[in-house]
Amino acid sequence: MPHYSALIVWGLCAGLLAAAPARAQVDSVRASTLPGRQVAEKAYNAGLASYTAQNYPAALASFNQAVAAKPDFAPAYANRAATRLALKNYPAAVADYDQALKLEPGAYAHYFGRGQAHEAAGQGPEAAADYGAALQANPAYAPAWYNRGVLRFEQGEYQAARDDFDGAVKADPNYAYAYHDRASTNLRLGNYAAAVPDYTKALALQPALLPALLNRAAAERRTDHLPDALRDYDAYLAQKTDNPLAYTNRGNARFENKDYAGAVADFDRAVALDARYAYAWNNRAAAELKLEQYDKAAADATEALRLDPKYAEAYLNRGHAREMLRQADEACQDWRQAAALGLAVGNDYAAAAGCAGDAAEAPADKAPAEAPADKTPADK
Amino acid sequence: MLRAFTRSVLLAGTLATAAHAQSVEFTKDKFGSDKEALKEALRELKAGDDAYQSDPPRYGAALPHYLAAQQRNPDNAALNTKIGDCYLHSGTKALALPYLQHALALAPTADPRAHYLLARALHLNAKWAEAIKEYQSSAPVGGGKRAADGDLTVTAADIQRRVQECRNGQELQKHPVRVFVDNAGPEVNSAYADYGPVVAADEATMLFTSRRPSGPNAPKDPNGDGYFEDIYQTTWQGKSWRPAADLGPPVNSAGHDATVGLAPDGQRLLVYADENGGDLLESNLKGTAWGKPQRLGSRINTHAHESSATYSPDGRYLYFVSDKPEGGRGGPDIYRVEIEGKGPAENLGSVINTPYGEEAVFMMPDGQTMYFSSEGHNSMGGYDIFKSTLVNGRWGPPENLGWPINTPDDDVFFVTSASGRHGYYSSDRPGGQGGKDVYRVTFLGPAKAPALSEESQLLASRLAPVAQTLLAPPVAVATARVTILKGTVTDAATRQPIESSIDLIDNKLNQVIATFHSNATSGKYLVSLPSGTNYGIVVRQDGYLFHSENFDLPTDATYAEVVKDIPLKKLEIGVVIVLNNIFFDTGKAILRSESTAELERLRKLLAEQPTVKLEMAGHTDNVGKPAANRDLSQRRAQAVVAYLTQHGIAADRLAAAGYGDTKPVAPNTTKAGRQLNRRTEFKVTGK
Repeated sequence: MPHYSALIVWGLCAGLLAAAPARAQVDSVRASTLPGRQVAEKAYNAGLASYTAQNYPAALASFNQAVAAKPDFAPAYANRAATRLALKNYPAAVADYDQALKLEPGAYAHYFGRGQAHEAAGQGPEAAADYGAALQANPAYAPAWYNRGVLRFEQGEYQAARDDFDGAVKADPNYAYAYHDRASTNLRLGNYAAAVPDYTKALALQPALLPALLNRAAAERRTDHLPDALRDYDAYLAQKTDNPLAYTNRGNARFENKDYAGAVADFDRAVALDARYAYAWNNRAAAELKLEQYDKAAADATEALRLDPKYAEAYLNRGHAREMLRQADEACQDWRQAAALGLAVGNDYAAAAGCAGDAAEAPADKAPAEAPADKTPADK
Repeated sequence: MLRAFTRSVLLAGTLATAAHAQSVEFTKDKFGSDKEALKEALRELKAGDDAYQSDPPRYGAALPHYLAAQQRNPDNAALNTKIGDCYLHSGTKALALPYLQHALALAPTADPRAHYLLARALHLNAKWAEAIKEYQSSAPVGGGKRAADGDLTVTAADIQRRVQECRNGQELQKHPVRVFVDNAGPEVNSAYADYGPVVAADEATMLFTSRRPSGPNAPKDPNGDGYFEDIYQTTWQGKSWRPAADLGPPVNSAGHDATVGLAPDGQRLLVYADENGGDLLESNLKGTAWGKPQRLGSRINTHAHESSATYSPDGRYLYFVSDKPEGGRGGPDIYRVEIEGKGPAENLGSVINTPYGEEAVFMMPDGQTMYFSSEGHNSMGGYDIFKSTLVNGRWGPPENLGWPINTPDDDVFFVTSASGRHGYYSSDRPGGQGGKDVYRVTFLGPAKAPALSEESQLLASRLAPVAQTLLAPPVAVATARVTILKGTVTDAATRQPIESSIDLIDNKLNQVIATFHSNATSGKYLVSLPSGTNYGIVVRQDGYLFHSENFDLPTDATYAEVVKDIPLKKLEIGVVIVLNNIFFDTGKAILRSESTAELERLRKLLAEQPTVKLEMAGHTDNVGKPAANRDLSQRRAQAVVAYLTQHGIAADRLAAAGYGDTKPVAPNTTKAGRQLNRRTEFKVTGK
């Protein structure tokens, strides 16, 4: 027995991963003297390795094995949730995060992960609540601020979104996305001047974040810095020449600069890159109206409407073109259609032109809109 | 009109003035022997002068004669000036420009009127800046009365006013109104002057004045402005007008009969008759026929010139134009009179009437909007059309209808439909049917802003998502860094299981860590050997030689199971025992300290069995030269012998032998095999 005690002491000194002392028994090994099989842990680690290798099915299998072997293994539930998230099985991911939170109440990472799963499942309020819970547990975790800010932005809660982006940059002063999106929030809030420096900061932190150039240009256009805006568009397009949106937006800036021919050239590029980009067709029609090329304008607006039959602005523009082409009845129809699609100004034009018939009524879900000099219907 | 325009272009070409050209007089020097031509030219010149110098001048009558004379001699400065002047007083004023430019080039100082007339022509061609320059080069001309030679009076105030008109024109042309101006078409217009349109409120009916011939033998106006004015009527048939028809008697007479106004319901027509200095008459529609026009009362018609009138929508008032001096503000003014009342006509006041002429009043059916023409206000030249709105019983400041409705020339007789969408007036512009034509103006309203669309990529993470997955970290797996050694201890001879002691020794520390026993019945044993130790395993039992094994397990050695059955041999001569726990440095015969325990066991065996004699044998693998291997194995065997003798064992009980690689116990083809072959063993040679 003295030897046995000595062996224990020795074993304790043998290191973390070799903690078992040397033992001997006749005929059998006493289980407590050797490390367990550690099936769960090994499977868990294998799952992590598979996840890292983006082999999510294998990761899922490993985590399944881990939780089967060790039903109270919280990290295994959490990582299986992450795996299921990657596999787009959002309800299952949420269920796993639930389980992880049962086992490890208050863990901010589990709240954050569940928030992501809710968000991916389109459950914005639940996601925002989880991000909030994560922040309660760990206010220094910048991505939780950021993600909640994004959700609030998408809900149109720009003031609250800006507060969250403030929190994100406070938690991580090098968080380029947070600066970028805070700038976008200011753009939405009409604080254009405040947006510009944040976009600039985002670009300084992450020069490859090219959309910041486009968005800074948008802010500059609204602060009467059109030359700066044009420079930003140019800088973007010098680095990325395959984005029809960028050409379209520069075309709009050139339009504002009364460079209608230049605008047409940009819209040309946009439609060459994506012939299905209805905005480019419509906007080229707008520039052609300014150039008094009414035939071309009518044709381009018609193409925009072929691509998007519910495109109110294209109806409006085609109405203008047709009016100038002396196609009064057709112009009236287009203006009425624009009004029916939500651009109330179409009725005004129709009335002023003496169009026959009653004013068109916009659908209930469309607020009356004035002539849209700038429309941002599809912020992304 | 087309003819006239073509002629203008041709003249512009033929009238190009050579440098240093001089005016050519109508003399024999010019015509030489062609006396007939000179005679004809002088005859035309005289005929023209007769008309031109009459009082009042008959420009229209003079012009054909002057043009004929000019055909004979294009380079007479005075004649070109007169032609220009005639055009300036015609319905095609813009045609004056090339003649006046030519005249001034031929004789820059000959005619004091030259700069002014050229300025007028430039003005009428909307060449604002050039016109201003010429006006500023002009000097007042004449003494206030037209001279017999066709000179005219131009005061400094006239020049200043013209300059201001040009500036008005410059300003108005910067912001053209958006209109379509469409010729009413050949159904309405003729090659002659057609003007003064009036329309019913619903635009279904239009009447207008035309100087076209009313028939094959229609008499011409002796003033040379074509045929006498007559009123024509047309109706709208959906896409165009029906061919206009002469209203005929009793409305049209042998003299001038001109439209003035039409009641909104189209049932009453106001006409102008060249009587009593110019009076206003009214005709009523009876069925489909217009009745004989009746002169309006003396509260309207005076000995002065009453030229234009419009009804108020309720028919209660008549707005009309008169140049009567009493109550006027200069030139023709607009008045209002209550038709059924008894009071005198009242001047509309200075907001509307200016010191210059007001003409062609038209009241919209809304009763709130009045159109009229004026030479004052901010006219860009001649009469411009203005609009004034009645607010709280007062007429607001007149608003110029703007370019291109208004031009530097006279723009008069403007009427609109009740909707205000369309206006009608007469204009002399390229592309018409000839002379003044009736045009329809379509008001397009303020410029319609094109609708641009734009999308933004405002959220960075939506555009370029970044994985933010928080993964739980790896867990520490307590890997079984242990080697399980198990097997059965038997009697080597009988193969029966035997109980034995198993010493676990840390070779490095030269300490026995633990001692175990194999099962007495089965002979089985099992020892766990944690990694990180160089173990010596010694199995011993009384009456048997000990058996040693070595397990040098580095720290990172993972779990392994080794089955090692151990046959214990009894002390018999010839028995060979491998000493697995004797270690040498590589290639040397120096015993390492880890060998001590094994050497001590051997020494103890020899001490306990004093009769036993042993041969210590060294073996190597086949790496290297055999001789060297033999030498090394020999020296190693001797090293063991030396240790034993140095620790009290008699040297004669020991022998040393080096076999090199000659007695392998395993193939040398594997690392494990070579390991087995590198060994130290003893053989019992005596007991």
